[in-house]
Amino acid sequence: MELTTNHFLFLSAALFIVGMMGVLTRRNILVVLMCVEMMVAAVAITFVAFSNETQTVNGQVFVLFALAIAAAESAVGLAIVVALSRRGKAPDVNEMQALRD
Amino acid sequence: MSWDVIFFFVLAAGTLVGGIATVAAENPVHSAVGLLVSFINIAGIFVMLGSEFLAVLQIIVYTGAVLVLILFVVMLIDPENLPAFYVAQPLQRYVSLLLGLVLLLEIGAAIITRTAMEAIGPHSPAWIESAGGNIQAIGQVLFSEYALALEIASLVLGVGVIGAVVLGVPERLGRMAGLEKATISLGHSRGLNPQLPAGHKFETPMDIPAERYDVPEGPRRVIMTKSADEYKHPGETAQGTRR
Amino acid sequence: MGDQPIWITFIVTLIIMLVLLLGMAYTTWVERKILARFQDRLGPTRTGPAGLLQPLADAVKLMGKEDLVPRGADRKMFLWAPMISFVAAVLSVSVIPFGGTVEIFGQSVNLFIADLNVGALFLLAAGSIGTYGIILAGMSSGNRYSLLGGLRGGAQVISYELVLGFSLVGIFLISGSMSLGDIVAQQKQTIGIGPFEIQNWFILSQPLAFVLFMIGAVAENNRAPFDLPEAESELIAGHMTEYSSFRFALFYLGEYIAILIMCLFASTLFLGGTAGPGADRFWGLGILWLVLKVVAFFFFYVWLRATLPRFRFDQLMGLAWKVLIPLALVNVLLTAFFRLLANGQVF
Repeated sequence: MELTTNHFLFLSAALFIVGMMGVLTRRNILVVLMCVEMMVAAVAITFVAFSNETQTVNGQVFVLFALAIAAAESAVGLAIVVALSRRGKAPDVNEMQALRD
Repeated sequence: MSWDVIFFFVLAAGTLVGGIATVAAENPVHSAVGLLVSFINIAGIFVMLGSEFLAVLQIIVYTGAVLVLILFVVMLIDPENLPAFYVAQPLQRYVSLLLGLVLLLEIGAAIITRTAMEAIGPHSPAWIESAGGNIQAIGQVLFSEYALALEIASLVLGVGVIGAVVLGVPERLGRMAGLEKATISLGHSRGLNPQLPAGHKFETPMDIPAERYDVPEGPRRVIMTKSADEYKHPGETAQGTRR
Repeated sequence: MGDQPIWITFIVTLIIMLVLLLGMAYTTWVERKILARFQDRLGPTRTGPAGLLQPLADAVKLMGKEDLVPRGADRKMFLWAPMISFVAAVLSVSVIPFGGTVEIFGQSVNLFIADLNVGALFLLAAGSIGTYGIILAGMSSGNRYSLLGGLRGGAQVISYELVLGFSLVGIFLISGSMSLGDIVAQQKQTIGIGPFEIQNWFILSQPLAFVLFMIGAVAENNRAPFDLPEAESELIAGHMTEYSSFRFALFYLGEYIAILIMCLFASTLFLGGTAGPGADRFWGLGILWLVLKVVAFFFFYVWLRATLPRFRFDQLMGLAWKVLIPLALVNVLLTAFFRLLANGQVF
């Protein structure tokens, strides 16, 4: 069996779907944030796999940016969770409805 | 079976097991460790795909910083109020699992029937070797074609840092901006005026009233566990000065 | 590197690992003796001549203790945390060059395990993974002091990792490569200053980065004066409180291996690694020079421990974020400026 790019794409799709299941089903907001990070990592694998196949480096550069943006987004998300927890809210996505109301 | 294939399957298995552990673990700490395992295996996959720089970067940035942050917050959040496990009822859970599998099969079909791209890119392995390696290649492309994106990314990171600080330590910012706050003192030497000026009632910029504890109306005060008269100078007791 | 048969790599790896483990054991002896002399006492003298069998005695004692897992502890994390710490520390030795490629018995042997293109970053990454040993140990012990110790230790390590990383950027700007073999090779080139020909060690061109790196390394290893998370009078032993017997030994020894790795790293980056008079003719002399430099750095570590009082935690964090990181950024700026000047691209 020879290793082609399709193998890596399968892996990336599977990881993305696992992450998506986590985001949709879990109730603890920290686990939801973790699953979002997992989805970003899965997309990163796709980018690097294609960058390997087409022999360009631009895919890897984009992964660099995606990593930076994901880091910033998780920092702000966690700060929100900490601030809400200090105000007495449980880390539960069903309870966090302040913006909705 | 060449070594490549074996490595790929080991790493892929590790990644997916870590991912499933993240989603399925009861304890959020176990979820975080599952994600850690997943990320390390993803770094291995990056090395297989020829980008060792991204592999090391993934470990330093993603596991070494972002995941540590998530772990800290998991530790700091009060474990009494942890929510129940899943959002939905059991039937919906299984249906969502089924739909996920169906989606995976669809994407799989799309992957199999795609027309593979040819190696048309300019950055062939020979070019990368002549540039000096993977880092130098990424550096050359990053600072020439994507220089503007780099500056914007740095701006985004800066905004992220400022946002996190503003959301995370509002009291300290409030104090620096001149608002007052009460302190709980387990002992104060004589001479401190226990009445602090009236402070603001709410503490965060979001101005949501606290539900877990009562914020007292009116002037804030210092809560002292001993009355001020019980503090003596060192060596001085109620019976007189002790040598 | 790919043309060397794999059994040679295994033998080299085995030798390096044995030397590292032996070195780690005797590092504890060296530290106790030097610390004792600083404090006007003798240190271990009874176990063997001049106390040389003390590490062996310590090992036997630690193995003989009861291996407890506290009742409130999260069992899986509790058992895995010291291993993460130890493995992350030992992993870093695989990129350190102990020499180039030499001929032994007619076979060309690499005196290093791997010369990665991203060697210096690999060391930082291994340090990042070591953080998890501290945090998971603190979290899984089921003990409030351990949790606080783990949190503080983790926060300290990630802050000083940034200091380390930034201080390395200056070196990367000068050498143009992150591979440690390349960095050592560049430091062996001679430059002329006046009538003298000296080797281009990076400590001469990056003194500020050197100072920042040393401070960052001491803090990263949780050593005095930055050892608040594990100071006995503060939090008992911080994240290691609930560990006994071999698991504690793993933490303790992992810490000493991390110290050795940082000393090796510092000598490779700033003092030229195996560079020294006679090193290009006899590779054994090169290794000797490296060992001498590591001993000098380790003496500096023990000296700091014996002399300086401990930082308070907020002082520690304030030092990292408000002083060292801006200084490191200034270093990068200055290095880039001087590099451009040298290339003639400024004026």
